[in-house]
Amino acid sequence: MRLRDRLFAFVLKLYPREFRDHFGADMAAAYREARDDAAHRGRAALPAFWTSVALDAALRAPGEHLMLTAADLRFALRSLRAAPVFTLVAFVTLAIGIGANTAMYTIVDAVAIRPLPFSKSSDLVRIWEKNDVLGIAQFSTSALNYLSWRERSRVFEDLAAWRFGSVTVATGNEPVRVRRIEATKTLLPVLRTTPLAGRNFADEEVRVGGPKAALLVEAFWRERFGGDPSVVGRTIVLDGVAHTVVGVVPDRGLTTPVEIVTPLVIDPAQESRGNHTLSTVARLRPGVTVAQARQDMDRVAQQLSAEFTDDAQWSTAVASFYDWLVPPATRTTLYIMLASVALVLLVVCANLANLMLARASARSRELAVRLALGASRARIVRQVLTESLFLALAGGAAGVALAWQSIPLVRRIAAGLLPPGGHVSLNASVLFFSFAISVAAGVLFGVLPAAMSKSGDVAAALNSGGRGMAPQQGFARRVLVISEVALATVLVSAGALLVQSYSRLQHVDLGFTPERVTTAMIGLPDERYSTGAAALGFYDRLTSSLGAVPGVEAAALSSGPPLTGANTGMPVRAIGSSPLGSADMQADWRFVSGNYFAALAIPVVHGRTFDRREFGDNGLLSVVLSQTLARALFTGDPLGRQVRLGNKRVFTVIGVVGDVRNIGLATAPRPTMYFSTGEFLWPAMTIVVRSADEIPVAQTIRRTVAALDPQLAVFNVQRMQDALADDASQPQTTAWLVAGFAGLALLLAVIGVYGVLAYLVVQRTREIGVRMALGATRRTVTRLVLRHALWLTGVGVVAGAAGSTVLGPVLASELYGVSPHDTLTMIAVPIALLAVSMAAAFVPAWRATRVDPLVALRAD
Amino acid sequence: MKPDTIDRHLPLPPAFLHILIAIGDGERHGYAIMQEVADRTAGRVRMSPGTLYGSIRRMLDDGLIEELTRRPAHDDERRRYYRVTRFGRAVAAAETDRLAALLQDARATGLVPRKA
Repeated sequence: MRLRDRLFAFVLKLYPREFRDHFGADMAAAYREARDDAAHRGRAALPAFWTSVALDAALRAPGEHLMLTAADLRFALRSLRAAPVFTLVAFVTLAIGIGANTAMYTIVDAVAIRPLPFSKSSDLVRIWEKNDVLGIAQFSTSALNYLSWRERSRVFEDLAAWRFGSVTVATGNEPVRVRRIEATKTLLPVLRTTPLAGRNFADEEVRVGGPKAALLVEAFWRERFGGDPSVVGRTIVLDGVAHTVVGVVPDRGLTTPVEIVTPLVIDPAQESRGNHTLSTVARLRPGVTVAQARQDMDRVAQQLSAEFTDDAQWSTAVASFYDWLVPPATRTTLYIMLASVALVLLVVCANLANLMLARASARSRELAVRLALGASRARIVRQVLTESLFLALAGGAAGVALAWQSIPLVRRIAAGLLPPGGHVSLNASVLFFSFAISVAAGVLFGVLPAAMSKSGDVAAALNSGGRGMAPQQGFARRVLVISEVALATVLVSAGALLVQSYSRLQHVDLGFTPERVTTAMIGLPDERYSTGAAALGFYDRLTSSLGAVPGVEAAALSSGPPLTGANTGMPVRAIGSSPLGSADMQADWRFVSGNYFAALAIPVVHGRTFDRREFGDNGLLSVVLSQTLARALFTGDPLGRQVRLGNKRVFTVIGVVGDVRNIGLATAPRPTMYFSTGEFLWPAMTIVVRSADEIPVAQTIRRTVAALDPQLAVFNVQRMQDALADDASQPQTTAWLVAGFAGLALLLAVIGVYGVLAYLVVQRTREIGVRMALGATRRTVTRLVLRHALWLTGVGVVAGAAGSTVLGPVLASELYGVSPHDTLTMIAVPIALLAVSMAAAFVPAWRATRVDPLVALRAD
Repeated sequence: MKPDTIDRHLPLPPAFLHILIAIGDGERHGYAIMQEVADRTAGRVRMSPGTLYGSIRRMLDDGLIEELTRRPAHDDERRRYYRVTRFGRAVAAAETDRLAALLQDARATGLVPRKA
């Protein structure tokens, strides 16, 4: 074929098939003749001709499609209006299905899809210290090691370090405690963050004894200073010390949510390499891979451990910056939720395909007539698909509206998952997702009915008097119902496992009693509490005055109560005979006052807790061990035995207390050492108060602190039970969401089973009538229908159970105390599904027994 | 024929009117219509096959023209021939009346010069 003929053929291909079938040959001839004619008229006529061909391809061919679609849409609207119940069910289920998917996707988009707010964040890495001997994979670094890394590494554009903490800001009449990081001057450049106003720290501000500077973070700046840019240059008082505000940093420009940034001033003379307090981030030089960075840092770490005894056992770990901000576990949870809501949409589609098939068979006569009158089969397929796509897009639009309505709820669900600067919103990419799944859904539930309408036998449909359903259509409907039941089984199993897991988490033995316990934090500024004795004296007065308040049962002090404290660990070994020999083991540690155990109702198993003997500079160096730790370190009675810590200090065991879940509900109690707050304090400590129900604890604490020192801020006041609820909120959300989706899927599947059986009864009315005329009892007829239902659901639940078994491991990371292959669940869920489906089948079964043989036989 | 069904088609797209005129004196096949239109307008109006057959499809749907079931013996068997229906003639008449009235108005107001 000549090139120009091929071009004409191509242009024709762009037309709707029906159009082409009818006019194609004439049009091709017309193109050829018009081209020859143009050639005869002279060279100038040819470009005009080809332009008109191009216009045909670009405008008229799509125009023909558009007109056809408009006609199909009119037809679809007419047929949907004729079946209002079907239309309503389809619209509502699609809206719910697509809406739920859209809502879930807004979270996935905000957490895992949108890029981090840092320019070229793929070049950022976290650098941790690592200690293989102690089994520590990621640990903070010391200021001196940070300086050495910066000096000796060759792969980074730059490194930055920061330390998280809090500070009291004196603004107005009430001091507030806010979060702050002390950061190196390099932090903003490494993150590629530019201040909204003012500037980054200057060289002299990070020097020892240099001028005191501070950066405000955007949200705090707006809230406290009304977003006034003239705040730059003003003085604010932090922990009693005047600082000059040098700039304002955007909220999205930092990795950790804080209110204030001050310079990290490193005085090498005061630092030790064993003091691990800094977090580190680095930006790779262009072209450097993470593997190369790892190699280079290994080299640096080897040098350092050879040179400094404090670094002897330590090496470094170069880790993903992204994984740190968006942990893989979070992503897994999200994808599980998205997958379960996607399964719901699949069930919706199967259900609609089923309903469409039922309609198609009711309409088979109409279709047959149209085929007989010369409508092409392609045309009818197109019409059916137009109808399903129109429904899906309308449902999708309503779903997006639903999702938009539920944004506040979605934000609450996503609150704990968002990376810095992350924000849940219905943006263009979410809308595109909704559009895409709407189209996919429309095709999915339309394609089967469309294909079936094509294969329908015209003569058979015309002869059957509208009752007939092609046999393959009945088969398709059964397969659809079976898949619905199978999908529902998978979801109900997952929901059941997650709910069980959550309930186990709620009934876990904490090792302490959270009821009526409130915690609050206080930080003492160095300037006014420069000596340990001054701080000790303050806390002593505070706990005794609090303890004296009527209604307060115990007021204790801790460096970190359960669930709120930092995760602290140190190597420890027993002196003398021990099951571990002379080996170290890693144990968590906390500073607590003697009545801490009473305040949290942690049982004292042996010996005693701290008292005046462990108070002040000359106090006894005593330690209280958790039961697990005592058992691991000592075979006999641990009281009076000694332990040596990683820092070489020796302590005598005076007591053993019960194990406590300090880290979280799902984390098994860890071996823990307790030291006396009479001897060791942190810059910020937590007050733990157990009280009678009726007293306003937060107020009492604030008033008591203010009476002792009006300049101190009390912060992070929290009921222990709220901390527990927070810790369980993610598992709770996951469990209830998946369970909710499962319920929805189950409902749809039951509707599907009901629909198919009801249809079956109508279809077999004649047969049932004959059977009854021949003496079949109502019981036999009921059994006939129920047997069919049992068969459909049976295959469905078996397939679903098999699916759950295969998918089980995906859930494992979300489950606590229950196996993804939990036998009871794997048996109970299918049985429950069978029972529910059989219940749904009873209605059509009952209706079958009402068939009047005379009426049934007269129908033809 | 009710006037309102005719009015529904007015104003007629220019391509429709050209086609109706081209087959006003007898049936023609597609390419012949294109040629006739070009000849009558001295080449000023050249329809592309896309415009032509798109218009033919709509005119067939609207009942303005019809396809001949038997083709003239002298011509290529494969081509489809079209002729104006009675309804098509009525619509064409209404359209030309409309245009004539328009022309008259334009002359009456002096917008365009009166005929000499």
